[in-house]
Amino acid sequence: MTSTTPTPVSAVGRPQASATRAGRGTRRRVRKDLLRSRIAAWSAVVVIGAFGLLPVYWLLATALSTPESTFQFPPKLIPTDLTLGNFTALAENDQLIKYMINSLVVASITAVLSVVVATYMGYSFSKFRYRGRRSLMHLVLASQMFPQALLLVTLYTVFSSFGMLNTYSALVLSFTTFTMPLCVWMLKGIFDTIPDALLEAASIDGASRWRTLHSIVAPLAAPGMIAAGLFAFVRGWNDFIFALTLADKEKQTLPPGLVSTYIGEFQTAWPQLMAASLVVSVPVIVAFMFLQRYLVGGMTAGSVKS
Amino acid sequence: MTTSGISRRAALRMFGIGALGAAGAGVLGACAPSGSPSNGGDPKSKDFDFTSWSLNEEAAKPSIEKIIAAWEKTEKSTIRAVSYPYNEYLSQLTLKLGGGETTGAVHLDIAWLAAMAQMGKLVDLGPVAGKGGYTDVALKSGLYDGKQYGLPWNTGSIGVIANSQLLEKAGIKKHPTTVEEFEAALRELKGLGGGVVPYAAATKVAQLKDIFPWMQTFGCAMLDGGKVTIGDDASVDAVTWYKKLHDEKLIAADVDRFDARALFGQGKAAFYDDAIIGKGVTSAQSKDKTLADAMQPMERPVLKTGDTPQALLWGGVIAIVKGKGQDAATEFALHTTTDRATTSEYFAARALPPSTTVGLAAPEVAKDTFTTEWTRKITRTATGSPFWQFAQNAQIEEAVAKQVQAVLVGKSKPKDAMKQAGEEAAALIKR
Repeated sequence: MTSTTPTPVSAVGRPQASATRAGRGTRRRVRKDLLRSRIAAWSAVVVIGAFGLLPVYWLLATALSTPESTFQFPPKLIPTDLTLGNFTALAENDQLIKYMINSLVVASITAVLSVVVATYMGYSFSKFRYRGRRSLMHLVLASQMFPQALLLVTLYTVFSSFGMLNTYSALVLSFTTFTMPLCVWMLKGIFDTIPDALLEAASIDGASRWRTLHSIVAPLAAPGMIAAGLFAFVRGWNDFIFALTLADKEKQTLPPGLVSTYIGEFQTAWPQLMAASLVVSVPVIVAFMFLQRYLVGGMTAGSVKS
Repeated sequence: MTTSGISRRAALRMFGIGALGAAGAGVLGACAPSGSPSNGGDPKSKDFDFTSWSLNEEAAKPSIEKIIAAWEKTEKSTIRAVSYPYNEYLSQLTLKLGGGETTGAVHLDIAWLAAMAQMGKLVDLGPVAGKGGYTDVALKSGLYDGKQYGLPWNTGSIGVIANSQLLEKAGIKKHPTTVEEFEAALRELKGLGGGVVPYAAATKVAQLKDIFPWMQTFGCAMLDGGKVTIGDDASVDAVTWYKKLHDEKLIAADVDRFDARALFGQGKAAFYDDAIIGKGVTSAQSKDKTLADAMQPMERPVLKTGDTPQALLWGGVIAIVKGKGQDAATEFALHTTTDRATTSEYFAARALPPSTTVGLAAPEVAKDTFTTEWTRKITRTATGSPFWQFAQNAQIEEAVAKQVQAVLVGKSKPKDAMKQAGEEAAALIKR
């Protein structure tokens, strides 16, 4: 780093000629340094951006390629045989549309259920003191530590006993097992930032506990609730193994549906799979576009306690 | 603040209810039916399920749906088609067969038959199999512990495929028959330059089980009377030889089945290992439309003239689950695997060889030189893996593959690696 020497000032307050030259030199050096650091910063952005975007580019390039060019070795960064056939084939596949509807239904209900339950649990953990509270909080978190396969076998057996296999309910309840704990902890963090004085004031004004939660606390925690809901939606949308095990073809969601349709014993229809992956990621991208301002606020809301 | 909201008692009550619910679910889980010898239901029912991974796959789905539709029409029954992706099939089926959800006919890879049969829910099809006219090798593929648990649907093998165009280019006039000749041929092919990988052998863990037939070629039995023999001199020799091919760049690093097909499809590999279906799969993804004609099945070279060429048996069987629709499902399986017209039509759609003598002799099959040559040269002497009888088969294959890879990348010596592989395999078998 170049040091910036203070410019000498004459008795009358005017910079001397040599000092002016020195000043110009310093400014030039500062400008050069600034330029260098900008180039370095932009280079870093380009490298990181390329690293992040290359998979997306590859997905798009493969989706637009013919099967023959997909298997070219060594692979070509810019595809030559472009086709839209993989997308048109997708539109004609009724089963995939069914999978997509199932995904939308199940992931949306999972998100709503997770947020509703997590709101009450998070509020309880944040604002009430009772014996076993800490243990319960840690128990909720500990449930995240179980291997999914272990939960899956138990859930399968339970749902089978209740005759609930191959239903939306089984999928929603199973997805909630892994979305809710984190939602609870996220929302607890957010409720912690809401001052207790506000709740006391509401109580003094005659608001019931129910009213306080729904009319005062919930609107304040809305960004966090939306963030938690989005998180639950995406987790539900992406789940593969629970959906594959607990639902049949009629109720199955997109991830197992896509794998079943395009990944076979002998070969994988990569271009079609990539086209389908691209199309099915659209709802998630749209959801993020609309809700991203809540997401950032919601995710960090509990990080600093006032 | 500790005063607002729910009282301590109320909060505890709420969580108590929740905890009871969770505990109840666990108890119910523990009480769920398992280990029952039958999956329940009326064995005489005309309606049953047919579970097959192929029911999802674009190439197979239409032909299987056609077989099902024809059966439903003739027999006035309803078949519920059930499917899971191939890579998840075994775990899904294990769970659902154990949970009593799977009934009827089940399509199985022959490598999975033992694991499924051990669950005690499959029907012994011995009396039925006699009516089928299956070939001996096919019948063996459906056998476990002396009982016929599977009716063979398609019987083939995993062997070596050669590119005759490349061999010709390198001046190789006939397929090498011994390991020595094979090595010499690889060197000739290497001399062609242009990035040719003479033998696109598996070098990635995912497919390194392909080394087992080479171990057998060098004389390793792998399992002898319940004792794992990996680690003996023969297995060490096989891996040392593989490492030599790797170091001399006669085989390439980081190759699995998909890479091998891609290399072969572009005329950059002269030999690779695949199932009989490899011809259709590899030529379909190649730009060279003459490649299919250049593909030839080749007997795996032997250590010394007179030895038996080694190949891994490969194929599918249909097993029957005890319980609902058992009898009708058995008839359906017999029809699907033995009816000449049905097997010929299925062969035409998928190039999977039938499992019966009549099916193989059918003009549609007999005129396909690749298939008949494959059956004569490779399937004839193919054997199943001795590890298939163990439920831990996949872990055993992976344990050995990891040790072989350690040798290839220079992290381990063949002798140490094979000793370690043998010990790991033995430990897995005991579990």
